[in-house]
Amino acid sequence: MIFGRLQRVGTGLLTLTLLLAGCGSDAGNQPIDLSGGVPVGAVLALTGNANVYGQDQKTGLELALKQRNGSGGINGRPLKLALEDSGSDEPGANAAFTLQINRGVLALVGPTLSQQAFSADPIAQRRGVPVVAPSNTATGIPEIGFFISRVSAQSSVIAPLAIDRALKLQPGLKRAAVFYAQDDAYSTAETTIFQKALKEKGLDPVTVQRTQLNDQDFQNQISAALREKPDLIVLSLQAVDGGNLIRQLRELGYKGLIVAGNGMNTPNIYPICQKYCDGLLIAQAYSPELDTPANGAFLKAFKATSGGATPPQLTAQAYTALQVIGEALERLDRRQPLSAATLTAARKELMAEILSGTYQTPLGEIRFTPTGEVIQSQFFVAQVRMDPGGRSGRFALLQ
Amino acid sequence: MDLLQILVNGLSVGAVYGLFALGYTLVFSVLGVINFAHGAVFTVGAYFTYLLIGGAVGANGLLAGLALPFALPIWGALPLAGLGAALVALLVERVAFRPLRRRRADPLLALITSLGAGVILVNLIQLLVGAESYAIPTGALGGLPASFPLLGARVRTVQALLLGIALLLVAMLTLWLEGSRNGKGLQAVAEDAETAQLLGIDSTAMVRLAFGLSGFLAGVAGGLVGLSVSIAGPYFGIGYGLKGLAVLVLGGLGSVPGAVLGGLIVGLAEAFVPADWSGWKDAVSYGFLFLVLLLRPRGLLGRPLPTKV
Repeated sequence: MIFGRLQRVGTGLLTLTLLLAGCGSDAGNQPIDLSGGVPVGAVLALTGNANVYGQDQKTGLELALKQRNGSGGINGRPLKLALEDSGSDEPGANAAFTLQINRGVLALVGPTLSQQAFSADPIAQRRGVPVVAPSNTATGIPEIGFFISRVSAQSSVIAPLAIDRALKLQPGLKRAAVFYAQDDAYSTAETTIFQKALKEKGLDPVTVQRTQLNDQDFQNQISAALREKPDLIVLSLQAVDGGNLIRQLRELGYKGLIVAGNGMNTPNIYPICQKYCDGLLIAQAYSPELDTPANGAFLKAFKATSGGATPPQLTAQAYTALQVIGEALERLDRRQPLSAATLTAARKELMAEILSGTYQTPLGEIRFTPTGEVIQSQFFVAQVRMDPGGRSGRFALLQ
Repeated sequence: MDLLQILVNGLSVGAVYGLFALGYTLVFSVLGVINFAHGAVFTVGAYFTYLLIGGAVGANGLLAGLALPFALPIWGALPLAGLGAALVALLVERVAFRPLRRRRADPLLALITSLGAGVILVNLIQLLVGAESYAIPTGALGGLPASFPLLGARVRTVQALLLGIALLLVAMLTLWLEGSRNGKGLQAVAEDAETAQLLGIDSTAMVRLAFGLSGFLAGVAGGLVGLSVSIAGPYFGIGYGLKGLAVLVLGGLGSVPGAVLGGLIVGLAEAFVPADWSGWKDAVSYGFLFLVLLLRPRGLLGRPLPTKV
């Protein structure tokens, strides 16, 4: 009996402790914990089927952090970055966002996927934490709320450029087949844009094939598409499923042009589709060939750590996201010292500061609309050129 | 042409499902439990194949950049990867099953220990080679063409290989089970382990044999899938594990021909889902399973459960 009572008391105490811990987890009215540096967080897909993006982004963040702290940090204090893996799904992103916010970060970079952003960004919005998305391109991301912004231009701006280029390369194109992952927010948003662009060019899709994000075998969809004898294939897929689909498509004999969306805009597709990646057309928000001082510095830093390779777009965008936060923090700290501010107030002020600035970045000059949408002036179209061994390649800029 | 194309697609996928489910079946028939680490062993086989064929580990993980000093053709890599996976399966048996069996613990506990072993294996893979995707080099089939025409359909060579190798392994396994001393011993232990032991059959050795064979089949299946559609990270065996369970139940728990038949049926059911509705293919295969179980609870070729009095 005594044991039973003790057990009940113990359970009660545990519940109370958990409740108190829960209440105390939002340190909104507390001062900012600046011990060890100015805290910012990042949430990236480092595991799961989107890990190929997360790895590129991690490199960009590390370079931006090194650059920022190498040039004095935030007015003498180092910028302190806490990185969390979100996996490649929504629950992982939600958990990582919550963890970072409870830690008391001033701003967040991430998450990797639009699908994750639609789930995790509302958490940051409710808690009043600025988010700078490095790679979410689906329509409606900044519209989630005041605290949500992005440096990745939305698909509607970029995607149609690749269709234009395909028609320039082969003006006689008549039959377009479209593939997209129906369970992925980015893919469904982008395919709508692609299909609209195709129709505007008089290329009504002869077939639209739907896949699933985690599919690996596409032979049924490919067989169905090839029956329509397409001369252009347009993909809105992520890197792994897209790379797989291209490989199977070429192995099944398709020889025409392939246009891919932003999801495949990473050198990480090379090991998947290998020699079959060759010729793939992709519109990009970043080109290593952009001749500006900011891109020059970024290129130099990247090449020094990668053995001379050129950086992918996702790395440049992640670098840009942290650069934006760093510059905004510096301006805010000059205006209202962070050491005297509460976390809640500083987060709100920081968001306003992010939106008001103009930034010289590897992507070129960027700024934001009042809703947090990026305004970027230059975009590019590249064609993948694989090396003879088919194991590595490059995105060759098409002039 | 359309029908043939669908048949080819369905049979090649179904053959892999069948091969995978055979591993489940072998262990289930001797121990009466499902080895949840089977999907992880399948994954290990895929990575072994990738390495043996000359693939290098990517930039992440403790083995970053590692490549073997030699590269085997697929014909050499697949059996070796199968053997490697068999060793891992034996390790799973040693760690997750044998201690419980010795203590005569409830077989249900082995479900949990095998699940734990599977999770550890998958995490170990991630620690060693990172979470990125790997694709077996496109030239792995040597001089064979990537695809060939067949009566108006287009067949990827790797699809034909999948089907051929899976059917060959099933035929060999069936012959071995029916025609060899060890095969009959395995069947005897599956029938009644204690009686088999009294008759002089080493049931512990038979259990090890079942795990070894199960691991080999999983390893080869993993290698074949990796060859066909790439290795989508350390967790890619999980989906096949679930599908394998469905196949196992559909075919009839513990039935070797049932596992093969179940695999082919699930593969074909998925292939017959119209391409536009491919998002529903899992629902179709599981719905089909549900229907069969309603009408025939012991599965297609499963034996009726004895009535206990």
